[in-house]
Amino acid sequence: MKPPVLRCRHVSKRYGKFTALRDLSLEVYEGEIFALLGPNGAGKSTLIHCITGLAKQSKGSIEVLGFDTVTDFRTTRRLVGLVPQEINYDPFFTPLESLMIQMGLMGVKPNRERAESLLKTFSLDEKRDAYTRTLSGGMKRRLLVAKALVHGPRLLFLDEPTAGVDVELRQELWQEVEDLRAAGTTIVLTTHYIEEAEKLADRIGILHKGELLLVESRDSLLERHSGRSLEEIYLELIRKAEGRHAA
Amino acid sequence: MSAIALKTLFLKEIRRFSKVWLQTVLSPLVTTSLYFLVFGVALGSRLREISGVPYIQFVVPGLVMMTMVRDAFLNTSSSLFQSKINGTITDVLVAPIGAFEMLVAYVGAAMLRAFLVGTLVYLVALTFTYFPLHHVGWILFFAIFVTATLALLGMVAALWAEKFDHLAIFPNFVLLPLAFLGGVFYSIDLLPEPWHTVSLFNPLLYMVNGLRYGFLGVADVTPEASAAVVLLSFAVVLAVASALLRSGYNLRS
Repeated sequence: MKPPVLRCRHVSKRYGKFTALRDLSLEVYEGEIFALLGPNGAGKSTLIHCITGLAKQSKGSIEVLGFDTVTDFRTTRRLVGLVPQEINYDPFFTPLESLMIQMGLMGVKPNRERAESLLKTFSLDEKRDAYTRTLSGGMKRRLLVAKALVHGPRLLFLDEPTAGVDVELRQELWQEVEDLRAAGTTIVLTTHYIEEAEKLADRIGILHKGELLLVESRDSLLERHSGRSLEEIYLELIRKAEGRHAA
Repeated sequence: MSAIALKTLFLKEIRRFSKVWLQTVLSPLVTTSLYFLVFGVALGSRLREISGVPYIQFVVPGLVMMTMVRDAFLNTSSSLFQSKINGTITDVLVAPIGAFEMLVAYVGAAMLRAFLVGTLVYLVALTFTYFPLHHVGWILFFAIFVTATLALLGMVAALWAEKFDHLAIFPNFVLLPLAFLGGVFYSIDLLPEPWHTVSLFNPLLYMVNGLRYGFLGVADVTPEASAAVVLLSFAVVLAVASALLRSGYNLRS
């Protein structure tokens, strides 16, 4: 078996008295789409932030392709791409400039051809020289995905990329995710659209109040609960966990 | 260290202030030139010499330093704070960029803007009066270390601030009063006690007088004393800014 692309060992994250992640261990393997599901506040974004460098775990270790995200952060950050949950854009720069700058920040020599190719892939080539603030919400979201890909990451995190996005764009984004996986990129995504996770993901992780309730391949999970949808399985697990917490 | 990332962040910061040059370059140039016209040209003709030099010459180093102090601070503080507010700081935080590269890039770009505006103010002054360069070495020393110190202070302010009002405290309630009371327009020898002694506790006094010595060869305090205060200020702010960036204070949760 290939070594995991991502390995989290006993990761905990505390904010004062609040525990956002509790002794979480997880492995993600090359070329798979791993869907991380859970209600709001479950710790999905916190985990992604700890892996990508936006936060630092209180305990435990995280490795990307065998490199520690704290001690070898320069290496791991070159291997990882992040599409953040919140749309952000720099009002000073155009999409083309934003991509060129992001390449440089990621330690890759800015390459105009690569930037233009990404703009074309994400249907932004007509807006390449417009100020980013004039782009529609969907275009800004696509620009975020393009920015996350400028350095050719081996592991891509998509933190609720379809939140507030219309159906057409959602389908486009998921098609792009499929294409990326086909090109060899490992993808970890979070989404509230469970049916989409069911359609796309190879493996599912369900997180609740900082604890991983389940990590299993989609196929075996659906087989074990024959006749039931992933959404039904998810809701049952969350309700049971809520019951345990309440008791 | 990634040289490409460092260069990119540095150039990005330069492009950021260049894109709004009316606000970042022309506006301080106009404001300072107005000070120069009012205090140096209009009132200066009625005032006697100060420290043995014509008043119009006396005020120019102070105005140059006041502009550089303000612009060095504003460049880092506004850029970093806006990135925090609009979320684009994420682009830097997920990149293989350490605290050292962030410091060098942000501070380097702020120093460049401050030098640019300071030089333009000096050139405007030259159109009104002959202006000597008494000691170029001291001019460069104070220009470099003062702008670096204020750029670092701007980073500290941006990291600490959680709203725009927090950020406005520094230029409006700290830097401007300290600059005005730091001998930009007068020599502290003109002040009665205890104000003369009180003025000696103002670090901006040493910054202004250090540059004034470099230009004119006269100052209220020796260039060595000014250099010592500037270096101490630089070391303190560098230590604080480095520690905050390394810990990810208000950047990484």
